[in-house]
Order: sequence, then C-alpha cells, then structure tokens
Amino acid sequence: MAELTSFSYTAGDSLLHRLDARFKIAFVIFISLVGLNAYLWGLGFLTLLLLGIILWTRLPLFSGLKEIRYFLILLLLIFAARVLATDGIPLIDFDYITVSMQGIYNGILVCWRLSLIVMLGFAFISTTPPATIKAAVQWFLKPVPLIPEKKVAVMMGLILRFLPVIFNQAGATAAALKARAVENRKNPLYRLTKFGFPLMRRIFERADDLVIALEARAFTEHRTDPELAASKRDWIALTVVCCLCISLSVM
Amino acid sequence: MHYQRVTRNPQPATRNSQLATRNAQLTTHNPQPATRNPQPDMNIIEIENLSHRFNDGTIGIKDINLGIREGSLVVIVGHNGSGKTTLLRHLNGLLLPSEGVVRLVGVPVEEDLLKARQFVGMMFQDADSQIVGETVYEDVAFGPENLCLERGEVKKRVEKALHVVGLQRLADQRPHLLSGGEKRRLAIAGILSMEPRVIVFDEPFSSLDYPGVKQVLQHILTLNQSGQTIVVATHDPEKIIAHTDRLIIMQAGEIVRDGAPVDIVCDLEAFGVRKPCNCRLGLEAESWQN
Repeated sequence: MAELTSFSYTAGDSLLHRLDARFKIAFVIFISLVGLNAYLWGLGFLTLLLLGIILWTRLPLFSGLKEIRYFLILLLLIFAARVLATDGIPLIDFDYITVSMQGIYNGILVCWRLSLIVMLGFAFISTTPPATIKAAVQWFLKPVPLIPEKKVAVMMGLILRFLPVIFNQAGATAAALKARAVENRKNPLYRLTKFGFPLMRRIFERADDLVIALEARAFTEHRTDPELAASKRDWIALTVVCCLCISLSVM
Repeated sequence: MHYQRVTRNPQPATRNSQLATRNAQLTTHNPQPATRNPQPDMNIIEIENLSHRFNDGTIGIKDINLGIREGSLVVIVGHNGSGKTTLLRHLNGLLLPSEGVVRLVGVPVEEDLLKARQFVGMMFQDADSQIVGETVYEDVAFGPENLCLERGEVKKRVEKALHVVGLQRLADQRPHLLSGGEKRRLAIAGILSMEPRVIVFDEPFSSLDYPGVKQVLQHILTLNQSGQTIVVATHDPEKIIAHTDRLIIMQAGEIVRDGAPVDIVCDLEAFGVRKPCNCRLGLEAESWQN
C-alpha cells in the first residue's frame, strides 16, 4: 500500500493541521477559483506560497508527487492537446502538426492551474483527518434539501476506507498472475479479462465482509454527530485568504 | 494417551502487576449496559434447537443446543466448513435462525438486534475486513458513535480501549499500515469500546506470527480474567487449549463433543482437528504465553 501512504492524512501539529476542516475546504475552493483564472505571475505567487507552506509543514511532497505520477502523464497529454489545438505564430510546422508559441503558453497555463489544484488537495488531505473531512462535508450539506448528509458522509468515509483494499487486491491479483507467467501472453484483452474478473470478484467479497463488519458494530445512520469548532485562528486565516484572493483577482 | 489440563498459567510478578492494572481498567463496566443479567446463575447465552439453512439449501448448522455461563472461556473447534462461523454469527444476529432461538440473558436476539450487537462483540477471522475507520482512533470510535453516545463518552471509551490494547501511540496511524498483530489488537479495541458482555473471536490466531499470537492470547486471557465471557472458534486449539475448561467440537454443522478438554481432546483427530502437539507426545498442554 505504499502507493497511497503519502497522499493521505499525516498526523502533525502545524497551523494547517489545527485549522478547522470547514475553513480549509473554503480555502481550497477560493484559491482554486482564483488559480483557475490566474496567469503566470499570479500562478507563480500562489505556487511559491503553497510550496512554502507545504515544506514548512513538513509534508511528504516528493513522495506525494511520486504517487501522482499517472496524473503527470495526464497533464502531459493535456499539454500536448493544448499545444496542437491552439492557433498562433508557428514555431514548428511539420506536415499537419503545428506548434505555436500561444499553444505552448496555453498548455503551460492549463497544466500549471491543474497542478496548483492538485497541490492544494494534497495540502488539504495531508493535514485533515478523514473524520473531520466527513464532518465538514456533513456540515456543508446539512442545509441542502433532499440530500441525506449523514449518509453521504458515511459513504465518503467508506470510499476512503475501501480504496486501499482495492489497491491491495489489485496488487495481489497482479502478482498472482505474474507468478503464473501471464507476461508471456501478449493479448491485452486476455490479460485484462484474467485480471479484471478475479479482481472484481474479490472486491465484491471484501465489500460483503465490510458490510457484515459494519452490522456487527451496530452501524446506523443516526450516529453521534461529529465535533467541529471554529476558533479565532480560523477567522484570521479566512480573512488572510480572502484578502489574498481578492488581490490576485484584481491583479 | 496422557493429557492433563494445566491450571492457569502462573504469571511472573511483573506480569501480575501489569495484569492487575489492566484488569482494573477492564472491570469498569458500562454504566448503561445492553442488558443486565437478572439471574446470576443463568446462562448468559442460551441456544435452543438452532438450525440455519442458507438460501441455496445448504445446512449451515443443525439442532444446536448450548448454554454458555457468564465469565467462562469456551473454545469451539472444528475443521473448515464445520459451522463454527455460522454458529457465532447467530450470537449477535448477523445471521438469524431458520429454526430455534438464541437468547442473551433470556432475551431472544431478534427482539433487539442493536442491543444484541452491543452485547456480543465479534472479532472476525480477517481483521482487515473489520476495520472501517481511516485512522486507528476513528475506527475504535465507530462503534460508540453508532450507539449515539455523547462525544465526551466516545472519547473516554476510545482512549480506554486503545490503552488496554496498547495502541494509544498509534491513534493517528492509518490502520492498513499496522502489522497483523496490531490489526487484531485494533479489532479488539473496536469491540471493547462498545463495552460488550460477551466477546466472540473467530479464528483469532490465523495468519499471526508467534509474537502476534502471544499478544492476542494475552488480551483474550486478560479480558476473561476480568470477568468477560469469551467464545473462541478455531480449527487449531493448540494455542488456547491450556486456558479453557470447556471445549466444544463441531462437525457438519452439529456439536459432536462438549466437555472438559481433558476428557475429549483425544477425539479431536476423529473430527478433522489436529491434536495439540503436547497431547500427541503425552505431555501436559502448555500455554503459548510461556
């Protein structure tokens, strides 16, 4: 399960750790919105600020980056699509492929914005216990009609809990196939079938086990409400973040 | 074949003091327990003519009659598929009888499933599947939160349960990073925080290394010594047989032997369960704590 260990809660006592989860969710939303509309200078400032906070909080940034390596491939694809799809003064012109300065600029901008949001998510997830994330989501959903906020919060928690199980099962199934020389079979459909069906069966079996475990521990939707408390520190942080967001929007 | 049940394992002085401390922690009972035993001499669990037939028609257990006294440590043995787990799952209503009845201090389980699940805590064979929290603390708090206890009471119970199993320093740890033995201890803490009167262990020693077995065994014995009723189901009685005074052998969903280990241990292999090593050598059963 090493793949998931850095991109999840890391216990600590930093300022980020001590902030109320509701405020942190608000910060993520505000900064993401500002980041999505920011350009190079604004993005540069936000990235440096965020990197500084992450390093100051001593979060495992580099192992976090390693864990999102597949996302980096996605970013690369987005960059390539942007570069190829944007018109402008051509830098490289080869047959039907044209790379323009505007395309490169656009690609960098989009990828940078998405990376900023991922970094925000990393800082948020790493410093907020899942129980308080659930509690905050429940708090935000409470005034929304027709949404069973407690059920949503519990489902969120179960998904978080179940992800490592799925990855473990996938790892075990892949290892079992390799042990029986599946790599000699070049047909990807064959390999996918032999991997996918046992994995799905195992996951459903584990889900069944989880349901029984929940029942054995008297699971109910009507549970003790989570504890959230905003302090002066949270309001100060909110003021600072709001000022920052307004300044960057005006720039 | 000579086989004698040993008396409770004599503990060294230091271990005695540790046990005394833990016993003191454990004997603080739930101020609002699921049900109080109105008659102290009555069986805490009473099973009458219990049968269970699965949806596909397979018979899981058949005509089980069993009484378990409060404070006892009962070991149920049988080979895989003999019906041990099916029987255990009737004790807290995870499975309901096709025929017969299970009573907890005289009250049928199906009358109040929530109370039955508080009354009988269950540790599953695969501790991983029992862990539902994202952190150790959160997992232990899951049960008390389901009981809608006050936040302060939840915190108190979680801290106490973590202290009892020695996991308080790992409260913020993610459960899937724990070792096998630690996961079992976490599962025990999750049960203890609900303050059950009976704790049922389904194959508690499977896939554990020697230190893990010793730790889990120590917790089982400490709980039993503090007055908790314990039921252990296993296909390998070697690790616990020295500590029980009642052994039940199951085969094909039925109870085929029920008595003191000294009287029935020699029959184990006839029912597909390996005799403890010492018994095979004609020696006394020895505790795995030594």
